[in-house]
Amino acid sequence: MNNARANILSKLHASIGDVDYEKLPQESSYAYASRSRQQQLAHFISQLESNHTQVIKTAASDIPTHISQQLKQRDISRLLYGKETHFSSLIEQVKDNDQQGNNSVQSSIDLVAYDFTIDGNKERLFNEMPASVTTSHSAIAATGTIVLWPTPQEPRTLSLVPPVHFVIVDAKQLFARFEQLINTQQWHNKLPTNIVLVSGPSKTADIQQTLAYGAHGPKELIVLLINSDEI
Amino acid sequence: MNNTTPASQTQPLEDESKYAASARNFRQNVARDLANDELRSNFRGAMDYLIDKRQSAFSDQDELETLRRQCQLIKQRCLVKLPLLLEQLEQQLTSNGIKVHWAETITQANEIIASIIESKQGKTVVKGKSMVSEETALNDHLEQRDIECLESDMGEYIVQLAHEHPSHIIMPAIHQNKRQVADLFAKNIEGFEHTTDVDALIQQGRKVLREKFCHADVGVSGVNFAVAQTGTLCLVENEGNGRMCTTVPDLHIAITGIEKVVESLNDVPPLLSLLTRSATGQAISTYFNMISHPRQTGEKDGPKEVHLVLLDNGRSQMYSDPELRQTLQCIRCGACMNHCPVYTRIGGHAYGTVYPGPIGKMVSPHMLGLEATTNLPTASSLCGACGEVCPVKIPIPKILLRLREESVKPVGDIPLIMKGQGSGRKPIEASVWKAWAAVHQSPTLYALSMWAVTRARAILPQKLGPWTQARTAPKVAAQTLHERVKLRNSQKQESGNE
Ligand code: SF4
Repeated sequence: MNNARANILSKLHASIGDVDYEKLPQESSYAYASRSRQQQLAHFISQLESNHTQVIKTAASDIPTHISQQLKQRDISRLLYGKETHFSSLIEQVKDNDQQGNNSVQSSIDLVAYDFTIDGNKERLFNEMPASVTTSHSAIAATGTIVLWPTPQEPRTLSLVPPVHFVIVDAKQLFARFEQLINTQQWHNKLPTNIVLVSGPSKTADIQQTLAYGAHGPKELIVLLINSDEI
Repeated sequence: MNNTTPASQTQPLEDESKYAASARNFRQNVARDLANDELRSNFRGAMDYLIDKRQSAFSDQDELETLRRQCQLIKQRCLVKLPLLLEQLEQQLTSNGIKVHWAETITQANEIIASIIESKQGKTVVKGKSMVSEETALNDHLEQRDIECLESDMGEYIVQLAHEHPSHIIMPAIHQNKRQVADLFAKNIEGFEHTTDVDALIQQGRKVLREKFCHADVGVSGVNFAVAQTGTLCLVENEGNGRMCTTVPDLHIAITGIEKVVESLNDVPPLLSLLTRSATGQAISTYFNMISHPRQTGEKDGPKEVHLVLLDNGRSQMYSDPELRQTLQCIRCGACMNHCPVYTRIGGHAYGTVYPGPIGKMVSPHMLGLEATTNLPTASSLCGACGEVCPVKIPIPKILLRLREESVKPVGDIPLIMKGQGSGRKPIEASVWKAWAAVHQSPTLYALSMWAVTRARAILPQKLGPWTQARTAPKVAAQTLHERVKLRNSQKQESGNE
């Protein structure tokens, strides 16, 4: 071990000396105009859409139909999902829904549960999973952001590795701004292993400032927005 | 291909960053890059694009100014509390299961990272964008120890293939255009189908890199904010490679400068908002990744071990002086570079340092010493654009002036604030200014010297070094102002007497 820690800290302490923290200047934040729930929702959707995200407004019960339609359009026949979530029983209907499909589709959706650990399954995850669906924890109107809060049921890579990511968002969970979300839910009390704020599909402008989607993460982000209160 | 590799004919001194040598060659680098038309147009195009993007993200001046003031105060508060916050951060991270390491120098940091990797028999590393790991030249170090280290940010990947280093802190490959990238891929990617379509280029890069994410033993990343209150590492990115590096491999090592710590979660939203808007004009980045633990029992993915390396490398020196301390407020948005007329013309490689542009001119003298970087603070017209756009209100021009002063202080002047202090001092220049000061303090000397200069005007030199390269030499008047006023007054009196 080296003395780096002690050296750095003692230099810093010596440079700053005794400070009266009470005397630090008052910080004030900008007072953003408050928006109605309706305006917030409209803004949320338009932000997402301007970030290349497809937003489908739907009743919860129609989610399976939307998913299977979207998968079909893309010629995708496998969907990775997490078991035992708020929406898992609905998601599981994607399969039935598909089998009863009115236009006599032969191929049914192969619904794969993420019930394995990543160790030893990376190849499978990277090469055999063209799409996934996750729930979300909350959403932020100002920036068109979806907050993912991975759990053992819905691991971190579920929303990251498959090229098409469906995410279910409930309009009830919409917050005006990030700071409001953090404070209302008292995030500082306990944070999970990981939280990710997602505001569109993976993208890059690293080659000649030209925007391209699907740099490493999902190429497509499809939001299934439940708005049961019709705000 | 352009020839933008750093011109480092001079070898770095032992135990010195390789960038010290290339920074010493600043003047040659500038001449080289100014002569490269393609490079200049690549930068001009990119800077215009980024300036526009930023402008459109700040439509409300009132909001912008309130946020800038708020963020300036947040960073200043966190700096005043820095030693305490670092200890708190360490304690929180440790209780969250993340291991914390401290490094005073780049060599120590590289050594720490290499030994963590070796202790796990790691052979392949994927790296998310991290300017601090560029600062330590981690790739070179790991390569020497037989550890493959692959850059995974698209821009960084391009730069690595070209054996270059980033020319911009946010958009590392900004100096290359798509034709140049296509040529580079053709040389380096097996089975590359030639195209200059950017989408297609990115998809080919994606294929190569996904393969690497899938098999890498270790992920290395930077950190944008480290939250002391909760022990959380926050990463800002658009591509998803940062998430890959910090989620897929079994081992995640993050490296960051000690100034990245913030006090509480509440400090994050305003800083994040200014960071992404100042950098690329985005309301928020595609991903904002908050990591607080390694994989916990029952979880199915995520690294089993997470480490954080806290690097000093000159930062405690910046900290030692109240004026220079403001340098540490920087959140690395790159706006000062985008708006700098010098950066736009000479490009990012000419500086020879890891961090180019105004921010580079402020931090590099602390990291590499003033001796190697004495030219950098002078490479500014002091137009003030950088200071005006800086989201945390660092008075950049003032700090550059201060660095110029430090570089010409008498050697050995106390207190010794900076490494290499006084190394830009030239005896002739110093005596000229001494003489100038003496002349201006004595009326007799002043009158005498003015008289001599005006009388000698015919024989004064016409060539004044670089000054007359593009200008004519100034001509001294035939008489001093005093003489002319005297003459005029006496003429007036005469005409009044008539
Ligand atoms: S000095 Fe200011 S403008 Fe420049 S990178 Fe840092 S925060 Fe951004």
